[in-house]
Amino acid sequence: MNTAATDPDGSGQYEIRLRGRLDPRWSAHFEGMTLTTGDGFTLLVGPVVDQAALHGHLNRLRDIGLPLVSVRHLGTEAELSSTPNPVRPTEGA
Amino acid sequence: MPSPLVRTKLYVPRARHTVVPRARLLDPLRAGGQPRLTVVSGPAGFGKTTLLATWAAGASRPVAWVSLEATEQQPTSFWTYVVTALDTAVPGLGAGALPLLQAPHPPMQSVLATLLNDLGALADGVELVLDDYHLADGPAIAGDVAFLVEHLPPDVHLLIGTRADPALPVARLRASGELVEIRAADLRFTLEEVTAYLNGVAGLQLDDAELAALEDRTEGWVAALQLAALSLRGRDDAAGFIAGFAGDDRYVVDYLVEEVVRRQPEEVNRFLLDTSVLDRLSGSLCDAVTRGTGSRAVLESLERANLFVIPLDDSRQWYRYHHLFADVLRAHLVQERPEGVAALHRRAAEWYGLADEPEPAVRHALAAGDVELAADLVERSVIGMLRQRQETTVRGWLDQIPAEVVRRRPVLAIGFIGALMSRGEFESVEDRLADLHDLLAAPPADLVVLDERELARVPGAMETYRAALALVAGDAAGTVAHADLAIARAAPGDDLTVAAASALAGLASWGNGDLESAHRAYSRAVKGLERAGNISDVLGCSITLGDLRITQGRLGDARQTYEDALRLASTHEVEGPLRGTADMEVGLSQIAWERNDLAETAAHLERATALGERLGLPQFPYRWRVARARLREAEGDLAGAVSLLEEAEQVYVGDYSPDVRPVAAQRVRVLVAQGRLDEAREWAHALELTPDDDLSYVREYEHLTLARILMHERDASGKATRTAYGLLDRLRVAGEEGGRTGTVIETLALQAIARHVDPERHDLPRALVPLERALRTAEPEGYVRIFVGEGAPMAALLGALVERNPSWSYPRRLLGACEHAPASPRDHGLVDPLSARELEVLRLLATELDGPEISRRLYISLNTLRTHTKNVYAKLGVNRRRAAVVRAGELGLL
Repeated sequence: MNTAATDPDGSGQYEIRLRGRLDPRWSAHFEGMTLTTGDGFTLLVGPVVDQAALHGHLNRLRDIGLPLVSVRHLGTEAELSSTPNPVRPTEGA
Repeated sequence: MPSPLVRTKLYVPRARHTVVPRARLLDPLRAGGQPRLTVVSGPAGFGKTTLLATWAAGASRPVAWVSLEATEQQPTSFWTYVVTALDTAVPGLGAGALPLLQAPHPPMQSVLATLLNDLGALADGVELVLDDYHLADGPAIAGDVAFLVEHLPPDVHLLIGTRADPALPVARLRASGELVEIRAADLRFTLEEVTAYLNGVAGLQLDDAELAALEDRTEGWVAALQLAALSLRGRDDAAGFIAGFAGDDRYVVDYLVEEVVRRQPEEVNRFLLDTSVLDRLSGSLCDAVTRGTGSRAVLESLERANLFVIPLDDSRQWYRYHHLFADVLRAHLVQERPEGVAALHRRAAEWYGLADEPEPAVRHALAAGDVELAADLVERSVIGMLRQRQETTVRGWLDQIPAEVVRRRPVLAIGFIGALMSRGEFESVEDRLADLHDLLAAPPADLVVLDERELARVPGAMETYRAALALVAGDAAGTVAHADLAIARAAPGDDLTVAAASALAGLASWGNGDLESAHRAYSRAVKGLERAGNISDVLGCSITLGDLRITQGRLGDARQTYEDALRLASTHEVEGPLRGTADMEVGLSQIAWERNDLAETAAHLERATALGERLGLPQFPYRWRVARARLREAEGDLAGAVSLLEEAEQVYVGDYSPDVRPVAAQRVRVLVAQGRLDEAREWAHALELTPDDDLSYVREYEHLTLARILMHERDASGKATRTAYGLLDRLRVAGEEGGRTGTVIETLALQAIARHVDPERHDLPRALVPLERALRTAEPEGYVRIFVGEGAPMAALLGALVERNPSWSYPRRLLGACEHAPASPRDHGLVDPLSARELEVLRLLATELDGPEISRRLYISLNTLRTHTKNVYAKLGVNRRRAAVVRAGELGLL
């Protein structure tokens, strides 16, 4: 099974980390993303369909003014929804 | 883009008196050596605009300001705003570049070159501020902005306010000390500035610890400080608030806006949330959205309270919210009343619709999710928008209205087709026309038409677009056929469709060389335009009508055309002369020039210059220069003529008409007169012009130019001259077939000269045959320059003709004009230039003829010849015939 299929549009799950705590009501601003906060940081996690959508989120974040700390690609839909094959226990050790 | 500009974007924001003077930031900008480029770069709410506005208020030079928006990513829009802003700061500064920007495809290189020239000519310089640059930044404009920065004259400076570093080559400028950067770290308020703001400007009375706590919590972010000040105003327990604030780690703006908003009365609260959906606020608009009254007073009190409402003009009619404030308010609104948001947008859309501002109206309708409303708004405004050349906006709407909505709305469909055609996006048009045809043939039950009159125009419009597609595909017959259908199907009174279709048919005929049909078609277009009241377009078409008549050798009719157009324009003046008036003066100058009435030529050109480029159509800048070049040439200033023609090439903008007199070819003719044959040959070579080419009307001027080059070849055998003669003959026949009398006269005149100067087959009597024919044809229209411009060789022929026909006054007059003309060209290097006669003698000295033969050729006595020869030698600084020929060759006189 091809687990490392590269998607040229860079779609998949993204995690965007900001310094500072955004109010939960901001999640409406970032369609499809879940907003969680911790001590001095905010995480936006969710599916992003392509690069243009990602840059759209980033632009809106720039307008808010909270410092951007990191942007991580967590994996494609396929990767994240696949389950390991139980018949081959030695794989992925 | 001759659309109404949003003037608020050009407004220089007033520096508020309630600000902390930030000398540490402004002093580097005010010091003597202000850098070429200043970039103020930082996140939202850091005080960039305020800083630039404060600086602008104290600037010693005029300040041009543009508050950019995303629409300025499009180059025409960007540069139109920039040039208009500069023109607002220094009236007249944009006169050169603005007309170029209004052409269908503005030549950006020329726009920039013209702008830079005009900036360089300023006595005191100017400052240009581009705020919110990050909204417009992008590949479409970055290259040209970099070019501008690179070539700014010493007294002109650019300042940019932006949230993202601009895509400009700043590294180089930084290295050479021509860049000042003010970044986030600089913009943050220091403790000193925090103190000055909170205790000074905001009038609070905080102690050192409290000030330090606020500075720490906000990190010097001025937007947060402003909100904190608002929260603290009139609050008894300042210390408690500050402690709570400092101890909370929520996003500052969230926290503070909530504090501020919570402390407002309920109605203000509601007002803020309702109006947060708007980009711009006015009393009337806010009344509509809030369904209240008295919004204007609310806005004014918000401004007084410093509640993040920023005025966009001096009359306090329009405001906007500060971005951060609006964002937070919107988030509040969405959370508190999600179901109400669409209604607010819908009210805004309706207000803008009634206010005749389609762009924001459509935007709000789409934001409300109301596609039918959006489609209604688009449909109502689309024809008007296209007439105002706002096809880019319409094209954008096309992507936002679902196709299935468009398929039920024929007026909308034709509007979108129009936008695609205007932008040259032809691919999908055929299919769209077919769909529209089917829709009209079998209208569904849910067909939507808002204006029956517009529906009646659709069939005519469809055929007009088909004609345009045919023209683009080079199918002249198809163009005319569809144009005729368009006229047949045009709704009664739809003059514009008749005019547009006729103009297309005219273009097709013109490209084919069928000038009479072209003239008929354009005349019909003019009548349609006149009935529709589009007088400037009448003037534009009159340029074409005049050109056609001139090519047909009908100077009198051409002159009549221009004069009639001027008379028509003067009866339709509203606030001064109409656009296109300047072009008519240029046209009249051309007629006067052809008749060698140089004083009148100059008078018309002066009037054209006085009217200026504002009153000229897009091609005015180049045509005006060509006309002035012609005058200079007639005055003997060939170098000046070439220089003007080079400028004309720079500012040339094409339209859809065939380029039948390319400026490059016109310049090459002057080069030939200057003896710069190498450059002329290069031009011919680059265009792959040969004497054996198949002839076509579109290349006629270029082939005539080639013939001239050939005639000037220093070719002892005369082969080049005979080749020229053959080419001229073919051109003459083509001209006769096409009714292009101007061409016929020119070819006959050149053939006469060719026969005369051919060293092997020199034959004066036979040379006079074509010349006489040329004169008989030219006399009724009063042509003079077409002969006089040929200089000495023509003068000799005219002399012979006068001798044979002493009672014919025309050649005598022409000869007189020749003798008054400055000796053509090749005067460089001579202190005392040769006269026309002397040049003719010199030419013959360069042949193998002896003295008596030369004097016979020139119809002068041997004594007279000796006098001329002596003068020639004296002027050339020689005393032998051979030396004279060599020297003449060196000077390029032969």
